[in-house]
Amino acid sequence: MAQRATLPMLLALATVALGFAILLAVQQETSPPLIYGGAYAGMMIGVYGFVRLWLPRSDALLIPVVTLLTGTGLIMIYRLTYGVEGVEDLAISQVIWILTGSVFLLLTIVFLRDYHRLMQYKYLLALLAIGLIMLTFTPFGYEVNGARLWVQIGPVNFQPSEFARIGLIIFFAAYLAEKRDLMAATSRTVLGVQIPSPKYFGPVLVVWAASLGLLVFEKDLGSSLLFFAVPLLMLYVATGRAAYVGIGSVLFAIGCVISYHLFAHVRVRVAAWLDPWADPDLMGFQILQSLFNIADGGIVGTGLGEGFSQTIPEVHTDFIFSAIAAELGLLGASAILLTFLIFVYRGMKIALLSGDDFSKLLAGGLTVMFALQTLVIIGGVTKAIPLTGITLPFVSYGGSSVVGNFILTGLLLVISEKAGRRLAGEEVR
Amino acid sequence: MNTQLRLLFYTFTAMFVALIGVLAYWQVYARESLANNPHNGLQTQREVQVPRGLITASDGTVLARSVPSGENSYDRVYPEGAVYAPVVGYWSTRYGATGIEIGMNTELSGRGEPATLDELINQLSGRPQGGNNVELTLDPELQRLAYERLAASATGRGSAVAIDPQTGEILALVSHPSYDPNNIDETFPELQRAENSPLLNRATQGLYIPGSVFKVITAAAALEAGVSPSRSFVDTGSYTAGGFRVTNYGGASYGAQDFAHALALSINTIFAQIAVEEVGAQALAQKALEFGFGDGYEDFVLPVAPSTLGEPPSEWDAALLASNGFGQGTVQTNTFEMALVAATIANGGTMMQPQLVNEVRSQDGIILDRATPQTRNRVMPSEQARQLTSMMELVMTEGTAQSGQLPGVEIAGKTGTAETGSGPPHSWFIAFAPADDPTIAVAVLVENGGDGESAALPIARDMIRTHLEDRNEDQG
Repeated sequence: MAQRATLPMLLALATVALGFAILLAVQQETSPPLIYGGAYAGMMIGVYGFVRLWLPRSDALLIPVVTLLTGTGLIMIYRLTYGVEGVEDLAISQVIWILTGSVFLLLTIVFLRDYHRLMQYKYLLALLAIGLIMLTFTPFGYEVNGARLWVQIGPVNFQPSEFARIGLIIFFAAYLAEKRDLMAATSRTVLGVQIPSPKYFGPVLVVWAASLGLLVFEKDLGSSLLFFAVPLLMLYVATGRAAYVGIGSVLFAIGCVISYHLFAHVRVRVAAWLDPWADPDLMGFQILQSLFNIADGGIVGTGLGEGFSQTIPEVHTDFIFSAIAAELGLLGASAILLTFLIFVYRGMKIALLSGDDFSKLLAGGLTVMFALQTLVIIGGVTKAIPLTGITLPFVSYGGSSVVGNFILTGLLLVISEKAGRRLAGEEVR
Repeated sequence: MNTQLRLLFYTFTAMFVALIGVLAYWQVYARESLANNPHNGLQTQREVQVPRGLITASDGTVLARSVPSGENSYDRVYPEGAVYAPVVGYWSTRYGATGIEIGMNTELSGRGEPATLDELINQLSGRPQGGNNVELTLDPELQRLAYERLAASATGRGSAVAIDPQTGEILALVSHPSYDPNNIDETFPELQRAENSPLLNRATQGLYIPGSVFKVITAAAALEAGVSPSRSFVDTGSYTAGGFRVTNYGGASYGAQDFAHALALSINTIFAQIAVEEVGAQALAQKALEFGFGDGYEDFVLPVAPSTLGEPPSEWDAALLASNGFGQGTVQTNTFEMALVAATIANGGTMMQPQLVNEVRSQDGIILDRATPQTRNRVMPSEQARQLTSMMELVMTEGTAQSGQLPGVEIAGKTGTAETGSGPPHSWFIAFAPADDPTIAVAVLVENGGDGESAALPIARDMIRTHLEDRNEDQG
């Protein structure tokens, strides 16, 4: 475990500061209130310091990675929304979300330092997660852009699926850690594939199907994809049986065909992916604007503030990566991709170095979700795969997504602390 | 479990690398085609912020320039207006772009790969970068003369193209009626509806029945088939092929004539006979294809409608072969193609690549690209080209185009009077001069202008005269 990451931390903060300096000096944008910049930098340094003190054996490199990603997001959100009527304060809201997320990260590492306690509450967490998603069907829920993903309780708006994901991953990790030996054992054969007893499979299938079904009816394609793939890959990690991935892929293909015929919004997405030129001003508009902007960047980019990414609808959330590719070019966009890969690499390493099944599955599951989410949205905006509306972790504007990913990082930190202690011979349990 | 975790990590790594590959595809490989896509509004957004390069004629006459129209925005101005509009095109934030404006967009917008150190510094620092200047091969005097003469022609609808046969440089490319590109945003809807299609570049995009000017292609095929210019044929006033009776223009009958005079007098019956009995469908079609029929000239900066044979030669019956032999069947072409045909014969049977862009310079005058003459293909041996040139000189001295003669200059030419089925025929003329060392080849078409001699020929003759006078002045 990398225990010290002071230099990367300083580099990350300097990069973010440089980005803002370029926008202010070269583009002559009016400075955002400096107090927010100070609060952001101070909070990230504070989080880093606290992690170093409180979890001395943990993988502190995650904090500079998160700093670079959130900082890049802030620069782009500020650049894309400044002076645009109706969204001019989004960068400030995002700072507040990052501060909130940091507080949640600190709460996570303080109260869940002994995260194994979570295993006892696995069914409760699963129920809570499903309950959260179901909230969107109650009068608290409301619809944005044709998908009912949002909940408002009092003054707080949030996207329950961003948090439900984490709860479900904890459930799957805990359940699979207990039952993995039994599930790997085979008891019968169906169509040439060995299937374990349904007794052990039941709970997994029920939770899986319930969460997936709800999301499908919410029309949340991106989350449905994650909710389907993450538990499947966790099952694969737990049992070591590639056949599950095979069966899962077949089910996925069937599910795709069914939802294609069942839901108009799925057909629209697929059509826009296959041939956006057929309807360039309407259906294919968003993805074509994304491609035009990405291509506009070329190798070195147009330079910060020189692009025209505001032509992409929803550029500050789902399509923020297109704006990065336009203004920072192939080089900058690749650097951001590699930063994400570092996060995935550290997450996987934490899973590999952990000593117990629950830790491995939890760290692995969280990392798989993080990696898939990044791949699915970047693949979507670059037309490598059909577009599904999900956020780019840490970079996109969005409170629920930012807070959720900070909690995810907090969990990885406490798992890495335990793995670090084990490696150092300080096994506590 | 570690095996599976590692495998997953490797898979994710491969996927991240694949995404970088996808990015590289869009940002490097597909970059230019996306930038020049008509649906891409980024270019016009940037365009109003950054001055585009100049478009000039070969003598520096400015054809298009960007002028400031407020803080950080520019308007596109076309000082020469309608005379050059079919070539230069227009640049509209609303209706996209045409002509050189879109064909040379990468250079004019300055968004190509940086070519000078200044450009590289500008690009790296993200500073707005002015476009490069594009100089065309067009001769302003010739261009304006042809435009005014077409405007004054019988119907005012037609086109004219002049080429330097030895280099392939386009000296004039005119289409009338034209339009004023300066206020295209206001006039576009009306222009699009207009009955006489002012937005159509008739020289490159129109397709017309060629009539007798096609006989030079039949003649080239006949020379290749071994028909000598002195070989004698007998015209009885009609020739019947596959039940189709061919007659001469005006019902004339010429008696015994050699092949050279058959071209000079434009005798349909003899050309029908030669096409059917001496050349054959495959060889005639092959020769037309070598001359550029069926070719869209993809490397040329303006879009070109490929001249067509109609149906493939395997489908031609004797009647269709006979009528294609004198250009009244299913063949269709335009002045761009026919000027290239004349230029090819003029250049000893070798066709040069047509070129409209002379050079590209950066804003501080550094030459970034300069056209060099390039051979397109060898269409006919030089000996046969020389024979055909002599036959075309006979057209001017003893044939249908005697009114086109100029004192002291030997011209080779061919008239065309293309029956359209309705209204007066299209008036065609192609020519090149001086016949022994040609420096200009022209093709002129006046839609429904009557016979070739009355409408198209005087325009072509005056273009040749103007060109040769200018040359003599330059050399004297």
